[in-house]
Amino acid sequence: MIPANFDYIAAKSLDEAISLLAKHKDDAKILAGGHSLLPAMKLRLMQPKVLIDLGRIRDLSYIKEEGGQIRIGAMTTHFQIEISDVLRRSCPLLPETAGHLGDMQVRNKGTVGGSLAHSDPAADWPAAILALDAEIIAASAKGDRVIKATDFFVEMLTTSLEPGEILREIRIPAAKGKAAQAYVKVRHPASGFAVVGVAVNLSINGGKCQSAAIGITGVSPKAYRASKVESALKGNALDAKTLSVACAHAADGVDVNSDLYASAEYRKQLATVYTRRAIETATARVK
Amino acid sequence: MKIEGTQKIGAPRDRIFAALVDPAILQKCIPGCEQMEKTGDNQYKAKLTAGVGPVKGIFTATISLQEIVAPEHYKLVVEGKGQPGFVKGSGELNLRDDGGATEIQYTGDVNVGGLIASVGQRMIQATANMLTGRFFKVLEAETTSNNPASSTGT
Repeated sequence: MIPANFDYIAAKSLDEAISLLAKHKDDAKILAGGHSLLPAMKLRLMQPKVLIDLGRIRDLSYIKEEGGQIRIGAMTTHFQIEISDVLRRSCPLLPETAGHLGDMQVRNKGTVGGSLAHSDPAADWPAAILALDAEIIAASAKGDRVIKATDFFVEMLTTSLEPGEILREIRIPAAKGKAAQAYVKVRHPASGFAVVGVAVNLSINGGKCQSAAIGITGVSPKAYRASKVESALKGNALDAKTLSVACAHAADGVDVNSDLYASAEYRKQLATVYTRRAIETATARVK
Repeated sequence: MKIEGTQKIGAPRDRIFAALVDPAILQKCIPGCEQMEKTGDNQYKAKLTAGVGPVKGIFTATISLQEIVAPEHYKLVVEGKGQPGFVKGSGELNLRDDGGATEIQYTGDVNVGGLIASVGQRMIQATANMLTGRFFKVLEAETTSNNPASSTGT
């Protein structure tokens, strides 16, 4: 499989990439790790005339704590997140999610910014990003724009990034107290994508759930917050009865995907079961 | 693959049916339909750019309207072929008068083959649902706008 002809430009800075994108507009695609874009180009499902490569821009790859937030550069690879000491200490949900992602080649080259901008409906990151109430920073000639995670995913393969914008950074608010986090996943045996992936981020105080944020991917055309589950958990002790009542709402209010591997009915059941497992795993970790 | 559902639109049945058999409006309703050329009675040749997000394919398609029973029933048949594969689909629409509004009940059968089916299988059902949703959204906008000549507008 050979892609259609295209021009390749390695941008030396983010500013240069922004002006190249402004110049080439719809003809151009931004190349990050390339692990979604290049396969699609080889199949000729995407035929951009120009690729603008961010791979040479070193200052887009970082993980740091700043201003009460964790800030992650868009070109940080999945593997760098997986092994980050900062994240393992302050936001273990991210390294855990990274470890579930794709295969070793994908984790070594693929980037968190690339994956989010591509917005595959079964990608792992959206679940975690939603559960962490992250902010996504989009850079353009007009400056930075802050997009809330809940506003970022529009539909399959479509985000709220505007033409001319480049995803630059992901910001995670620092956890208040000790957070109970977990990501669990039913992995598609061939693609490694999430048939169902559930990320939970809970705070528990005095045996009761103070706050709950649950992001679910793979179940519907775009990742979503399981808000009915969250409200059923809040203020309650996380016992078996609360969990079984709450988790039954895991796929409420969304169109459930159906494909050859998993029917809509089966996926919905998986969402219920794996939401419960994610909550149980997270709470066991802080006991 | 089956697609079915009901859609309620706040416009009289006659107006909706007229829109559904008007090629100018139909062209706007069918997502990604760039041109539609009449080739016979209720037969059209069309160019469709169909896809999701940045993944798109260009299809040349034939569109035909069959089993026309105004203003309550018709069948829309679309067959498209393009570089990423082929799409064959037919949908039957039944329109029911609901006190000035109209309830459209639709059942469709869509077959997708070729490259797009083998690599995009997990997204096909959701894509079909999304495109169906867009069809009715545009139809609603076209039939509930105040301008009866909206078929020549925008």
